[in-house]
Amino acid sequence: MIRFILADLRRLWAGAAVVILLVALATALGVTVTLQERALRLGSARAADKFDLVIGAAGSETQLVLSSVFLQPAPLPLMPGEVLAKLSKDSRVAWAAPVGFGDSFAGYPLVGTTRALISSTVSGFAEGRMFEQEGEAVLGAAVKLPVGAEIKPMHGTAATGGETHAGIVYHVAGKLRPTGTPWDRAILVPIQAVWHVHGLGHEHGHEEEEHHEGDAPEVTPAAAATDEHGHSPLEAAQEHDHENEVAAAEEHDEDHDDHAIDGDAPIVEDFSADTPGLPAVLVKPKTIADAYKLRQEYRSGNTLAVFPGEVLTGLYATLGDAKLVLSAVAAGSQGLVAAALVLVTVTHIGQRRRQIGALRAFGAPRLSVFAIVWLELFSLVALGIGLGFLAGLVAAGVIAGLFTAESGIVLPVEFTYEDLQLALVLLGVSAVLSAVPAILAYRQSPATALRA
Amino acid sequence: MLSLHIDSLIKSFPGLDGPVLRIDSLAFSPGDRVAVTGGSGSGKSTFINVVTGLERVTTGKVVWNGRDIARLSETSRDRWRAEHIGLVMQDFHLFPGLSAVENVLLPARLARVADAAMVTRAYELLKTVGLSRPGQKIETMSRGEMQRVAIARALLRKPGVIVADEPTASLDAEAGETVGRLLLDMAAETKSTLIVVSHDQRLIDRLDRRLTLRAGRIVADSMREEVAA
Repeated sequence: MIRFILADLRRLWAGAAVVILLVALATALGVTVTLQERALRLGSARAADKFDLVIGAAGSETQLVLSSVFLQPAPLPLMPGEVLAKLSKDSRVAWAAPVGFGDSFAGYPLVGTTRALISSTVSGFAEGRMFEQEGEAVLGAAVKLPVGAEIKPMHGTAATGGETHAGIVYHVAGKLRPTGTPWDRAILVPIQAVWHVHGLGHEHGHEEEEHHEGDAPEVTPAAAATDEHGHSPLEAAQEHDHENEVAAAEEHDEDHDDHAIDGDAPIVEDFSADTPGLPAVLVKPKTIADAYKLRQEYRSGNTLAVFPGEVLTGLYATLGDAKLVLSAVAAGSQGLVAAALVLVTVTHIGQRRRQIGALRAFGAPRLSVFAIVWLELFSLVALGIGLGFLAGLVAAGVIAGLFTAESGIVLPVEFTYEDLQLALVLLGVSAVLSAVPAILAYRQSPATALRA
Repeated sequence: MLSLHIDSLIKSFPGLDGPVLRIDSLAFSPGDRVAVTGGSGSGKSTFINVVTGLERVTTGKVVWNGRDIARLSETSRDRWRAEHIGLVMQDFHLFPGLSAVENVLLPARLARVADAAMVTRAYELLKTVGLSRPGQKIETMSRGEMQRVAIARALLRKPGVIVADEPTASLDAEAGETVGRLLLDMAAETKSTLIVVSHDQRLIDRLDRRLTLRAGRIVADSMREEVAA
C-alpha cells in the first residue's frame, strides 16, 4: 500500500507539492503568531524581572515603564530630586537608583545610573570593571565597542537631529555580561556625569546653570528622554514656564555645549534633597510587603509608583487582543486552505474513479481503498503541518532576532506543550477532513466507477 | 473451475423504462470457454458486472458453485470476487509508477494475502506470459506487454473463473493474436472457466461456446460446432 501511495505521489508530485506548501504556509502563519506573541510576553517579562518598583513623576504608567525599564526613547516628566533622597534613606529600600537618559552614542542610548543598580541587576563583567570616575562608562553586552574606547555623547539621537556635546568624553571601563534586556544595548555612565553634562548637580563643584535659578525643582533640567525637538522633557517643561519660550529653548540648546565633566572626579552616590529632577528611580524594596507599601505611598501627589509586572499585564491584555485578531486571520486562512484541499481532493477522487473502481474490481477490499485515499491525503497534510511548524519556528526566530537587535530584549522563541496540543488538534482535524474523500471512495460502486 | 447458474435475472437502472439485462435461465459448466458477443448497448458489460459480482442484480439468482452471490453484501462480494474471479479488461487498468511485478501483486497485497509463495508465483506468471523484465515500469511497456501483465495479475490467485472484457480490442492484430492465445492457454492450464466478451472474430472462433446478446436478452447460445455447421 505504501509503495502504491508513494508511486502515486511521485506521479502527481507537482500537485502534492502545492498541497504541502499551502498547508505549510497556513500552519506557519498561525505558529509564527503564537510563538512570537509568547516570546514577546516572556522576553518582556524577563527584561522587567530585575526591577521591582519604578517611581516617576505622575503621568503615564506605561510610558514610565517603557522608558525606564525598556529604555524606549520617549519624553518623561520629571519628579523632584528630593524623592530620590527620601528613598535612599528609607529603611524599607535595599537600594534606589536614579536613571537619566537623553544622550546617545553610535545609536546606543546613554543611561545615567548608579553602581548599585548595575551590581544588583547584572551577573558580572565580561571584561574590564565598573566605572570608578565621572568620565568612565560601562557597556551593555550588545554594544559593539571595545573596552578603552572613547565615547563622545550626542544630545538626543542622530535621527532627531541631536548635537554632540563638545568636550565631553567617557572612557569605557568595562563590558557587562548579557542580560537579555534592553540594557544590553545601553552605555551606562554615572548619573552625576549626566547631570554635569547637562549643567546640573552643581553642588559637586561644577558650574552653575544660570537660567535655572529660581525654577521649581520639578522643572529643573536633567538628563531625560528627548522630545521631538531634541529637548529633554525638562527642557520642554522649562520652555512652557518661561514667557519667552523660543528664546529659552534656544538658550538652553546652547547650554548643552557649555558644560563639562571632570573625568577624574570620584563618583558620589549619596543623594541629597537638592538632587536634580529625575525622570525615574528604580527601587529594590527589602520585602514584598515593603514593595506594596512603597507603591501605595508614592502613588499620590506628584509621583507615580508602579510594579513593571502590573503594567506589562495591561500591555499583555492589549497584546492578547492583537493576537486574537491575528490568530483569527491565521485560523481563517487555515480554514480556507482546508476547504480548498477537500474540494481539490474530492475533484481528484472523481477523476480517479476508474482507478479506484479497478482496484476494487481486482480484489482490493473497500477498507484498503479507504486507507489509500485517506493515507495519501493525510500524509501530505501532516507533512505540510510539520513543515509549517518548522517554518513558523524559523520565521518567529528571525523576527525575534531582528527585534532583539533593535531593542536588546531577547525573545525566547520555543515550542511548548501548548504547541504540541495545537499540532495534535491540527492533525486530528486533518485526519477527519482526509476521511471525506476516503469515504467517497469507499462508497463508490466499482461497476459505476469503471463505467465513468 | 466453477459452474454458473443464472435464474430469473433482471438488472434495471433507475430512470430507464425496461431492464438492461434479463436472463431467464443460463448455465455454464466448469471449464467452459464462452464468448459473449453483441452490439453496443446489448448488455454485455452489465452481464460481466453481474456475473463477477461487481453489480448487484435487481432480482434473480447468480449462483457460482452453489453460492448465490446476489445475496452477498458488497464487502463479501469483493472478497468472493478476489478469491474466484480473474479479471482482464480492455484498458488493462495497470498502475503507473509501479513495476510489472508490483502491479501483479498489488490487489493481493491490498487484500493482505501476498505471501512469499504468491510473490514467487507472480514472477513465474510474468515469465509464463513472456515478460522477462518483472521490474520494468508499466509506463515504459507496449500495450501488448501491458495486457500480458494484466493477464498475469488475473491469474495470480488461481481463480476458478477468468473473465476478459474486450481483451484484444486495444491491441494490434499481432498482439491481439498473442494475447488471445495466451488467455486460452492459461485458462486450460489452470482449468479455469473462461468468459470472454469480444468483437474479435478470431478470438471468438477459438472459444467453445458463443452467447449473443441483444437489448439485454440472450438471442443466441450456440456451441462452436453448431456455428461452424
